[in-house]
Amino acid sequence: MDLGRSGPGGPAAALAAALPRGGGGVLAGRTRRADGAAGRAVAVRPDLEQVFRADYRWVVATAARVLGSRDEAEDVAQEVFLAFSRTTVPAGEARGWLSVAAVHTALNVLRSGRRRATREAATAVDEPAADVADTVVGRDEHSRLRALLVRLPHKQSAALVLRHSGLSYAEIAEALDMAPGSVGTTIRRAESALREEWVRHASSE
Amino acid sequence: MRHPSEGVLRRLLDEPAGVSDADRRHVAGCAACLAGLAAAREDAALAGAALRTDRAADADPAAAWQRLSVALPARPATPAATTPAAAPARRRAGWLHRPAAAVLAAVVVLSGAGVAAATDWLPIFRTEQVAPLEVSTDDLVALPDLTAYGDVAVTGDDGPRQVADAAAAEAETGLDVPGVGDLPTGVEGEPAYAVVGELSGVFTFSAEKAAAAASASGEPLPPLPAGLDGAQVRLTAGPGVAAVWTQPSGLPSLVVGRAVAPQAFSSGVPFETVQDYLLSLPGLPEDLAAQLRGFTADGSTLPIPVPADLVETSAAEVGGLPATVLESRDQALAAVVWVEDGVVTLVGGSLGPDEVLDVAAELR
Repeated sequence: MDLGRSGPGGPAAALAAALPRGGGGVLAGRTRRADGAAGRAVAVRPDLEQVFRADYRWVVATAARVLGSRDEAEDVAQEVFLAFSRTTVPAGEARGWLSVAAVHTALNVLRSGRRRATREAATAVDEPAADVADTVVGRDEHSRLRALLVRLPHKQSAALVLRHSGLSYAEIAEALDMAPGSVGTTIRRAESALREEWVRHASSE
Repeated sequence: MRHPSEGVLRRLLDEPAGVSDADRRHVAGCAACLAGLAAAREDAALAGAALRTDRAADADPAAAWQRLSVALPARPATPAATTPAAAPARRRAGWLHRPAAAVLAAVVVLSGAGVAAATDWLPIFRTEQVAPLEVSTDDLVALPDLTAYGDVAVTGDDGPRQVADAAAAEAETGLDVPGVGDLPTGVEGEPAYAVVGELSGVFTFSAEKAAAAASASGEPLPPLPAGLDGAQVRLTAGPGVAAVWTQPSGLPSLVVGRAVAPQAFSSGVPFETVQDYLLSLPGLPEDLAAQLRGFTADGSTLPIPVPADLVETSAAEVGGLPATVLESRDQALAAVVWVEDGVVTLVGGSLGPDEVLDVAAELR
């Protein structure tokens, strides 16, 4: 993927047009409003299905890093692809765009608290075969660390998740409109904060 | 010289080629920076464990597409893609050009065939914080990027992926998944199974690039053997499978892995010629070069770049075969590795050497 071809402002600017920052609104609703303001119907891009089938699991995995729940990540993926369907981002650059969109949207979901307690409860009951991630870092610890993601500065949490999703430092810099030299420091601070949270939790037990 | 920033140390873990030579050299000889690097690696591994999403691979694109189709306002009359396969091709090209991928390929080529197995599996092991057992801090810090000496192309599997059980892993890889007898104390539950496909790396030597790199480094390029310009070395490794038991801290309590041993193929000139010349290039660390000289082209040995500052090695036997035991100096991790009939097997984890040898001896 080559995020550098998204033109001035890069994917960050493209996303600003398509995705809400903060707040808890449903993305699809906002996008519809934007469409209405433009006063015209927006055609669905013809390569949507191809991109969707190629990158759907990737988007779910990226969102799931933030949310810890596949079901919620799939909801986010729906919103992300709906937004993507209205863009003209070239298919070859789709994955970079989708990654950033997935992280922003998932963090917004986490921040806004529009989480489904009922779904979480149902998930716990319906899926006795625990997530492998839950055996690595227990379910409680996951919730605690995810809560920390929200408390971190947005760029720190976004850079952290994008890095662990496999984006290069150059791609992260482009996506988050950061100086390339500051990406490592930003990721390091986020991971250090996670470590402190982990230690604080462990010592309180 | 000033110490590189924490951000630079963090990038060394992921993209060593993105860090300046001066910083890499400094870190290699600075105890404080090496300690900082180790701390960064630990924190990154913890974050990686916290952000893991194994079950995301279970998502069903077909069902999700149905759901999205309902939400879409209108479907075009001809939804068929106009440029089939364009997206994956582009994505792969982008991945190949990442510095990290280039360094990966450098590791594959530089170490002859052997470390390719470890490289192939690096994503698993890095996640599980076993990376120090495969690649030393010095390797990460001082390994030259081979793209300066030619073209590097890695093809193959996109990375390890989770599968449901041992049977699925066997079906995907064609390998017998080792069955473990009695689990060591502290290892509990069922393992998670991951598989990787075959990885292939092609390095095409370029005399022009090598000459440019040499003049840039201020050192003369060693005389070029006949036929080396344009010579290609292809290395393959995998497929492989790993069964991973984890403990709450995120460390693997036990990893049992098996992979098809790597092999080297060359065109134009023998692999040994390419290897020897790479070994003579300026900037190659002497300790790494010494290890490389012992390698063979047929993949029958298992060269592992052992980080002497972190790991002690010793010889042992598993089922009558020579094996190498690795133990981290802090005694937190141990592993045993051996090769049989072109298949590499590794047993390791947060265990003692005796425990990994016991597990290895009882593999079915």
